[in-house]
Amino acid sequence: MNDDHYSHASRRDFLRKAGALALAATPLNAMTATDTSEGVTFAAGPRPLVRYPGKREMILVHSRPPHLETPFPVFNEGALTPNDAFFVRYHLADIPTSIDPATFRLTVKGTVKRPLSLSLTDLKSMTGQTEIVAVKQCSGNSRGYFSPRVFGAQLGNGAMGNARWTGVPLKAVLDKAGISAGAKQVTFNGLDKPVLSSTPDFRKALDIDHALDGEPLLAWNMNGEELPFLNGYPLMLAVPGYYGTYWVKHLSEIEVIDHTFAGHDAFFMTKGYRIPDNDCNCVTPGTAAEKMRPIGKLTVRSFITSVKPGDALPAGRAVDLKGIAFDGGSGIKSIAVSVDGGQAWQNAALGQDLGRFSFREWHLPVTFASKGKARLMVRATSNKGEVQPMTATWNPAGYLRNVVESTPVVIG
Amino acid sequence: MNAKLFTISGLTVVLTAGLVAGLIAGQTLAAGSAEVRTINLPPDTSRLRSSTLPGYNLALQKCGICHSADYISFQAPGLTQAQWTAEVGKMQHTYGAPLSDDEVKSIGAYLAVAYGSAKATDASIIAASSAPAPAGNATKAGTEIDVQALLDNHACLGCHAVDEKIVGPAFQDVAKRYKGQANALASVATSIQEGGTGKWGPVAMPHSTNLTDAEASALAEFVLKQ
Repeated sequence: MNDDHYSHASRRDFLRKAGALALAATPLNAMTATDTSEGVTFAAGPRPLVRYPGKREMILVHSRPPHLETPFPVFNEGALTPNDAFFVRYHLADIPTSIDPATFRLTVKGTVKRPLSLSLTDLKSMTGQTEIVAVKQCSGNSRGYFSPRVFGAQLGNGAMGNARWTGVPLKAVLDKAGISAGAKQVTFNGLDKPVLSSTPDFRKALDIDHALDGEPLLAWNMNGEELPFLNGYPLMLAVPGYYGTYWVKHLSEIEVIDHTFAGHDAFFMTKGYRIPDNDCNCVTPGTAAEKMRPIGKLTVRSFITSVKPGDALPAGRAVDLKGIAFDGGSGIKSIAVSVDGGQAWQNAALGQDLGRFSFREWHLPVTFASKGKARLMVRATSNKGEVQPMTATWNPAGYLRNVVESTPVVIG
Repeated sequence: MNAKLFTISGLTVVLTAGLVAGLIAGQTLAAGSAEVRTINLPPDTSRLRSSTLPGYNLALQKCGICHSADYISFQAPGLTQAQWTAEVGKMQHTYGAPLSDDEVKSIGAYLAVAYGSAKATDASIIAASSAPAPAGNATKAGTEIDVQALLDNHACLGCHAVDEKIVGPAFQDVAKRYKGQANALASVATSIQEGGTGKWGPVAMPHSTNLTDAEASALAEFVLKQ
């Protein structure tokens, strides 16, 4: 049944390798332009490269609602992910396709002293505007590598990105509304809607302490430009250090509530986006956790971006390996690299510090002594002491993946 | 355009809303920044793998209400009938898909054969597929076409109502738009069979290619009479 997929994949693979031989000097980015599998297999692939409004060629994850993955070579371009290459993810198919910035309003209601209806002009006129560089990463980034496999978007490693977000702190808007006594959580809703009323709306909640700690941002600019439409124009909740599920796009409604968010439209807090509530946030495949909780902060991760699996690297002369690392907001303390499959490790040099929520670039010149197969590995340690595990953990929804990445190469 | 007039030192200056916002925010906004932003999404070209199993017709009718077929085709290979059926059950229970328990089993069986590890000849697939399949055939030889049954079986009423817009347009609005057009019946029948997007808004209508021409025409006639 799936033969068509495999023959396709192998023919493509052959063509890609043949192309690589013929054009040995071709830059990495050009060589990988047609390889969209990212090492993941599909029931009926391959995934096409597609053009969506405001985006360069991206890997199609789903058409409706739109879900686009960033081709991995983009992460070798720099610490900031270009707006036109930033991943796109929606949950519900009734998404806005036309927004008038003049009539757009953000409402703030609930357990507040002064309900608000703010225009973009109102928001952009507020004092205390700020910017922050922060990683937005899908909870299910890298789900395609789970073993055993689980349902959900079968993502490679490209459902993440790092950008400079400009806006006003959520706290400033909540202070303007005046939080009343008894406030417990703040909920967020955007302009996207379910097709059927029987489907829960996509709404998220933050605890009141988190909402008021100054870190979450109501952002209208991304890397110095207005948000791309598909990334939440004209306003998005940015929650530095937290998984992308909280970064509500086309943000139009904030409600302060005096209870823990519950009910039909709380689905994406109470039933979806939940992880095992234990030390490893993991379970043995096929078993259920005793207790679950909403997903929260990003786990520490690192990647080699300058080399892809199967690349040929020269022996006897220096090769500058480079990549990126990030965590949930303590910042990256150190990066260790192994070129022998994890036996010996050496520390890489860290690049410019763009803030504790940002991608941190790293590089390390290495020289391979002998020819043959080699396995490159990279392992990050965060400032709070979190270290990437050498073996992958498992959870039923395919979240939180942060195993040490391993890149097979051929030296010769 | 929301323009304001100011008089400064005897000169009349016209400021657009965008420029006012830019001055207040202490930054220069690009010209035209207050324009409406509109995007056109590319058409969804993903299709389900065809099959003679009854779950295929059900999947065509029901799954496409809320998502494209690539939500299915880009899952992992080799998943079992139990896994696929559980996933369809999730659509029924947690995402509110208009599915009966028998329909969940039938769609699960089809998906497990088309995209997973099952074979159409497996006893469990045959059992799950033998549930009553209301797959569109409201027409029996020599009988009238039952439009109400077609509306139910093809989940039309999940998105449409006679007199109000739900997700798709009200049947009355469709009738109004096509009124007096020579090819109205054929156009609407084709839209029903092939689905589409853009005529009424961004949310796509799934195709119903398993409708016969006569059934599509009967549905179109019903809609145009509203």
